[in-house]
Amino acid sequence: MNRSKAFLYASLGIAAVSLAGCQSGTDAGAGKDGGAATVGKAGKQYTVGVSIPAADHGWTAGVKYWAEQATKQNPDIKWIIKDAKEPNEQISDLENMKTQGVDALVILCTESAPITPIAEKLHDAGILIVNVDRGFTKPVADFFIEGDNKAFGRKSAEYMVQKLGGKGKIAVLEGIPCTVNTDRVNAAKEVFKANPGIQIVAEDSGQWNREKAEKVVQNMLVSNPQIDAIWASDDDMALGAETALKGAGRKNTWILGGAGMKDIVKRVMDKDPVFPADITYPPSMIAFGIQTAAGMLRAGKADAKKYVPRHVMIDIDLITPDNAKDYYFPDSIF
Amino acid sequence: MKKTNFLSEYGALVALVVLFVYNAMRHHGTFLQVENLRNLVSQNASVGVIALGMTLVIIAGGIDLSVGSLTALCGAVCILVVNKFGAGMSPTMAILLASVSAIVIGALAGLINGAIVAYGRVAAFVVTLGGLAGFRSIALVLGNGGEIRSQVPALGDFGFGGVAIPFAKDASGGPVLFYWSAVAFIVIALLMSFLLNKTRFGRYIIAVGANQRAAEYSAINTQTVRLAVFTLLGALVGVASVMVGARMNSVGTGSVGLYYELDAIAAVVIGGTSLRGGKGRIWGTVVGVLLLTLISNMITAENIDTNWQGLVRGVVILVAVLIQRGKKENE
Repeated sequence: MNRSKAFLYASLGIAAVSLAGCQSGTDAGAGKDGGAATVGKAGKQYTVGVSIPAADHGWTAGVKYWAEQATKQNPDIKWIIKDAKEPNEQISDLENMKTQGVDALVILCTESAPITPIAEKLHDAGILIVNVDRGFTKPVADFFIEGDNKAFGRKSAEYMVQKLGGKGKIAVLEGIPCTVNTDRVNAAKEVFKANPGIQIVAEDSGQWNREKAEKVVQNMLVSNPQIDAIWASDDDMALGAETALKGAGRKNTWILGGAGMKDIVKRVMDKDPVFPADITYPPSMIAFGIQTAAGMLRAGKADAKKYVPRHVMIDIDLITPDNAKDYYFPDSIF
Repeated sequence: MKKTNFLSEYGALVALVVLFVYNAMRHHGTFLQVENLRNLVSQNASVGVIALGMTLVIIAGGIDLSVGSLTALCGAVCILVVNKFGAGMSPTMAILLASVSAIVIGALAGLINGAIVAYGRVAAFVVTLGGLAGFRSIALVLGNGGEIRSQVPALGDFGFGGVAIPFAKDASGGPVLFYWSAVAFIVIALLMSFLLNKTRFGRYIIAVGANQRAAEYSAINTQTVRLAVFTLLGALVGVASVMVGARMNSVGTGSVGLYYELDAIAAVVIGGTSLRGGKGRIWGTVVGVLLLTLISNMITAENIDTNWQGLVRGVVILVAVLIQRGKKENE
């Protein structure tokens, strides 16, 4: 069979199937999948997509866990949970969720800027958008929940200044570029600037990843023989930093992480000198986002928006040996 | 003359049709929506454009591992240029200027790759491996390790702009657009196919890849040919970087383009082009790209853990190569 014949048959085949499909199923409308889900008692059955970053560190693994828990609490809604390794994949996921007919989307961005254009498009197409944690670069979402990252930066920096007695050399470890990171870093740096005895001798990004943070800190230690403390801003990175410190034989440097990983909280409780404190930033905020989306849909989108504030900030707490037991959840996945 | 084995010649196309029909029947409510079909073409359009250029490089006997990193570099240039000129001139002009800059930088990088391969006589694998590391590094420097955000919203609109598909409506009643990136993919595929099959340059590419010594004796300037294909691939990477930058209205210098080289080479190989060089086809690469997108789409639709995607792709590549091996032995 020569090439043109093969093409002809292939195209005819695809055309035939497409025509058949278009005539039998719902046309270009937002058809739902073959009659599987049951219609909720209230009437319409809703579909909601949850788009989150792939679990490349403990916090994002926690997000996945809490997302699964929250969706199980709402069985009357059809949930599609997808995680994406990078922004391009997340954009494709969101496009695919649109064709699968979602009424709402709960989005935790892999990175803030790349996801904003598609989120805006989907919002304009009438889909309810709930944004969790890493915000869009434009106020596109119907509901945005984040931790108070400015308080995160401020409280963590204030603790470090106080523990160092206002004097010392510190290293700064940043995370993935997004609004979360920018708010934390800027707030922390403001505090450090206000205390001239504190000197930032090194700063770099660990991308909220343990391995990356370890490599980055190794380099920092080589060029800086004296570092009193590390503002690690994240517990996964803090653990990477600790490995680097051990490898370099640096015993007197302590680390301030963030997000309240149970292993770190335990060490704060046990008064470990390397981890004198921690800062909360619960991955369970995704559950709050999911619950809100479910609630808003059930109430009817137009009405629900009247009762739900546009922007909610979760307060951040400083964990010290005194209060650590209140923040220790040994059964948690994070 | 042995009959060419149908499956080895058209295996990828058969797989594409089979999977298409399978999805159409299983998810006919959603899969056959015009929007979804459009997504199948547009979602990997940027990798597709790169794969088209990669086809020619591979047919000519080379390979290019630096395309992913170069996408990040050209993307960074694109956003930086559009930001710099976005305030002074009309957004359309700024975007045009940014696109041209990205393509020029890409072509330049390709030129460097090609020159070292052709005149420096260093293996393409090694040269472009250096490019993989080097271009990414330059991109990271330009972006300060992070993302570069566009300050020209028109670029983002361009990313989601396109030609309205007649008779199609999406869920909210609006038109379904055939994105410019998808248009570019198809147009470039047609151009490359013409180049390869209907021009003298195309025949030279095949000759150089099939038997370099014989090509030299036939008075073909093999160095120029190889230089040209690498430069062309570089320019196409520039085009792809504009597509990516527009879709995200930003470029994450650390994350954009990761593994594009593997995706592009996979599409080329699945499509039936031999890594040994000397033979291949553009339409095969198009089928390869569509097949990879379809597999990705299926994994979402079937709610399979995305982590399996890598394994599925690996198996598809292996099967494609094994089937082609059958073809080689028949000749």
